[in-house]
Amino acid sequence: MALPLQPGLTPTEVAFLCEMETVTVVPRQRLESLPLISGPTPALRPPHRSPLPLWLALLLKRQRRANILPPPWLHPQSLDKILKYETETSPEGFSPPPPHPYLLTTRPASTDTISPPFLPSSTAGAPAGYLPYHWLELGEILLEACPDDLPDPNRIRTQLRDLREVRMAKIRHRTKDLEGGGITSLRGVGAMEVSEGRGFIVGVMDGIRKLGSNREVARREREEYEGGEGGISDEGEEMEYE
Amino acid sequence: QADLQALTRVWVNERGSFDLLQWPQDGLMDRVTSLIKLQISKVEDMTGDMNPKTNFGLIIIQTEVERWKFLLRSYLRCRIAKIDKYTLHYLSTPALQGRLSEIEVAYATRHQQLLHNHYLGSFLSSFPPPLQNLNDTAGGLNMIGGPDEDSAVFARGLGKGLGDDGRVLVRGRGRDQDEEAEVSRGEIVVARWADLQEHVENGEMELV
Repeated sequence: MALPLQPGLTPTEVAFLCEMETVTVVPRQRLESLPLISGPTPALRPPHRSPLPLWLALLLKRQRRANILPPPWLHPQSLDKILKYETETSPEGFSPPPPHPYLLTTRPASTDTISPPFLPSSTAGAPAGYLPYHWLELGEILLEACPDDLPDPNRIRTQLRDLREVRMAKIRHRTKDLEGGGITSLRGVGAMEVSEGRGFIVGVMDGIRKLGSNREVARREREEYEGGEGGISDEGEEMEYE
Repeated sequence: QADLQALTRVWVNERGSFDLLQWPQDGLMDRVTSLIKLQISKVEDMTGDMNPKTNFGLIIIQTEVERWKFLLRSYLRCRIAKIDKYTLHYLSTPALQGRLSEIEVAYATRHQQLLHNHYLGSFLSSFPPPLQNLNDTAGGLNMIGGPDEDSAVFARGLGKGLGDDGRVLVRGRGRDQDEEAEVSRGEIVVARWADLQEHVENGEMELV
């Protein structure tokens, strides 16, 4: 009964996680508020918009009871701007993630530690020009489920593909930095990119660490020796190889 | 709603690391199981009333129950896999054993007993008595294998640290040099598990 998977989320699990994001929906039929486990859904009265989790929005869309409003960052102009930023302005790092809607105050609040997929980064009120954490999954799901709600879906499809290629190339390039250093920051990376690159990057880091473990131990001893009182360091210490 | 977020975070953390993390101490699991049970009984009540209009609402509620059950099941199966892999390691010290819930401790002990009896039956009894111990610590090498603590993981800063703007100071140990980095909220880093472990347990960072 044990889970046979490696550590790390699979792409299907990332898609599951993404389905918990909130999107704005324009209902076509009335629906009363349902008592779900995570709280009651807002009552749907057309033509008022209401925020719903993505899985519910997809269900309604498939039964033609609602239309989904695309988030502002999924428009062709916004994607164009982001693509230009990625290729020209910052060829090394990724484009910045959307600003957190709940500001940090001096007193710790419960909204401080909300992370995606519970941040409202894909509703109609979200800021355009930033790629939220689940951008790839959300874009693909929306393209597949509701192309009639999106303006110019073919162009959006090609833009998403271009963005994906550019960013994956950057990730592969950054693995070079992992060689010697201890910690690397990947600001602005997306969920699917993390799961795709996880196997590769973890393998690289582990392999380099195991190959270089002897060198690392020698370096630490050297630093201790230089920083300490100058005692004789232990030579011939046995290294345990996993 | 907060329970859903907590359950998701706990699930992602457990799936992201290969070391067994702390069982949530604040009664989260009991609350989640009771919520699911309540909802299932509600569904059974509503199924008796075969009105085509409320039928659709029933479908939605059932879908959501399935989603919660998936999260719960995946979390528990992930933990069972880790317990199976390193049973003796987690049962060895009371500190590590404190990470398991009581049911898991019972499962781990029974699992270990079964394995031990199986080995005894198959080949251990034909070994000379001094070599029959499964947790032999003589000779400087520990026979109980633990999870590899220096493997790499992806983590996100949660904005609860002590620096300004809630940054968390993380010391990363590398091969050629040790680096220190400040991780602000929403930023994702790759580092060794041993360095990030205390931050994740404090709640200052979460795995991705």
